[in-house]
Amino acid sequence: MNTSKQSKVPLQTFFAAVIATMMIGGLASTVCHADPPSGASSQTNSVESKASLPDTNNVAVKAHLTGAELYSINCNRCHAERYPTERTGAQWKTIMLHMQVRANIPVSQARLILQYLQENSGR
Amino acid sequence: MKMKMRRKTFELVAAGCVMGMIFPLHVSAAVSDADFNALKNLVQQMNGKLESLEQTNETDQQTIRQLQQQLGETQKTAVDAEQKSIAAAQTQTLPRGPIDEATVNHNFLMLGDAEIQYVKASGQNGSFLLADFAPIFLYRAGDNILFEAGFDFGLQNNAPGGSGYTTSVNLSFAQLDYVMNDYVTLCAGDILLPLGTYTERGAGWLNKIPDDPLAVDLVPGSGVGAELRGAVPIGDAGKFFNYSVYGVNGPGSADETGNAGALDLGGNVGIRSDGVTSNLHGNPSGGARLGVFLPFPYKPHYDLELGISGQSGEWDNAGQHLWTAGVLDAALHLGPNFEAKGEYIISRFGSDDLGLIHQSGWFLQAGYKLAGLHLELPGINNVELMGRYDNIDDGLGTTTDRYTAGYVYYFTSTFLFEGDYEFVHSTDPTQVNQLILQLSIGF
Repeated sequence: MNTSKQSKVPLQTFFAAVIATMMIGGLASTVCHADPPSGASSQTNSVESKASLPDTNNVAVKAHLTGAELYSINCNRCHAERYPTERTGAQWKTIMLHMQVRANIPVSQARLILQYLQENSGR
Repeated sequence: MKMKMRRKTFELVAAGCVMGMIFPLHVSAAVSDADFNALKNLVQQMNGKLESLEQTNETDQQTIRQLQQQLGETQKTAVDAEQKSIAAAQTQTLPRGPIDEATVNHNFLMLGDAEIQYVKASGQNGSFLLADFAPIFLYRAGDNILFEAGFDFGLQNNAPGGSGYTTSVNLSFAQLDYVMNDYVTLCAGDILLPLGTYTERGAGWLNKIPDDPLAVDLVPGSGVGAELRGAVPIGDAGKFFNYSVYGVNGPGSADETGNAGALDLGGNVGIRSDGVTSNLHGNPSGGARLGVFLPFPYKPHYDLELGISGQSGEWDNAGQHLWTAGVLDAALHLGPNFEAKGEYIISRFGSDDLGLIHQSGWFLQAGYKLAGLHLELPGINNVELMGRYDNIDDGLGTTTDRYTAGYVYYFTSTFLFEGDYEFVHSTDPTQVNQLILQLSIGF
């Protein structure tokens, strides 16, 4: 038993290190390829605007998220993204009711997601 | 003179008559017998052809008369049909617009998944198996009413007791969902329990490692009862908190005793083997989950979810002992390529023979999609590396630690090829290292 415990420790350490390395590697890769914060000005060839540039220190505030945005936030947390064209409008209505209950997401958000899916569905 | 003229005229006429008698006029077209016969034959042939043409003409006339008759009948049929359609249209009282399928009030759908595995456990023969066929049936009866049910079909050898195999069918859940308003949904039936999120949101093609975490065996995945659940948005950036409150029959005893080994997490379904409708013990169990979902501001695929859940109630027939469980769950996404999730589960239950039993377990799982490395290598973008550590202490003397390293290859978003190797350290000798390869499809 002592031997197995002794052999467990380095193996545990190894796997913990592997998982930690994956997480750190993933975090590092994600940070390195992170999108610039919204609101930052970008170089263009357009005529310089006479209006004042937005404050790049503050992230732009949006009034409401669209159905497409809510879809991208919620609908690949548990499974890979499903494309709106895979189903008809009536099928999406049924599936969204199922997903709304299963993922326990707000009804108002589910409605917007459903609207997005139906508008882009394979009829 | 006159007498001479008359005499000369008479002499000329007489001479002409005599000459006409002596030299009759020759007919310019003299016809021989051969020519006559030929002409006769020709006339006969002409007559024959004329008769044939007359017959053909008669036949054609008959055909024309028949066609005229058919034309008349066809025209009559067309007129009748037109009159009927006009009459039908006139009797139609409700306007029929095009059907917008999205507005259809009811809909039946089958979803689900299937998994085929090859397993090679240490010290055992490698084998293929149909790990699971799990259809889910959805019936939407309106805008706010859904009935959903899920099954698990599996195969098991009859040997050594007999030949052939047995097909097992398990009803994994069957519940009626009624969205009462924007914040409250009623669920009733054999409901999936919100103890953590693994069981509630798991499926063969969603779980990126073929084996379930060990610790989920400490809590029931479903129970017969009723639940109120819902979610409330926090601001407009996609954040929300959600809740579930439920009551179910709760765990029961497999042999009517209160001995520790008799704990049966999922067997108390309301109808006993003797046909009596009754909970196995005096009181149902109650449970709840509270969770919060925090997407990073306006950054899809960056989010954190935290939850705490628990359930408690009697489990033995005498109602002397409580079974209580608590779960902490967390899930983190950092971009489209990285995710980590885990749960910590504890449970306590009293028993007649062993007193208070403490059980615990946890798992931490992480995955990284190699598409995030932006390598231009064929197939690499379809690979996700997976790692998991999980353990369990069943409180009865068995502890198991398991380290899993694996991958997922995405043929498509719903067709996966998974593989993993599990390094197992357990006080249970039947728990051994194993290699699992799995094809899974979600539909």
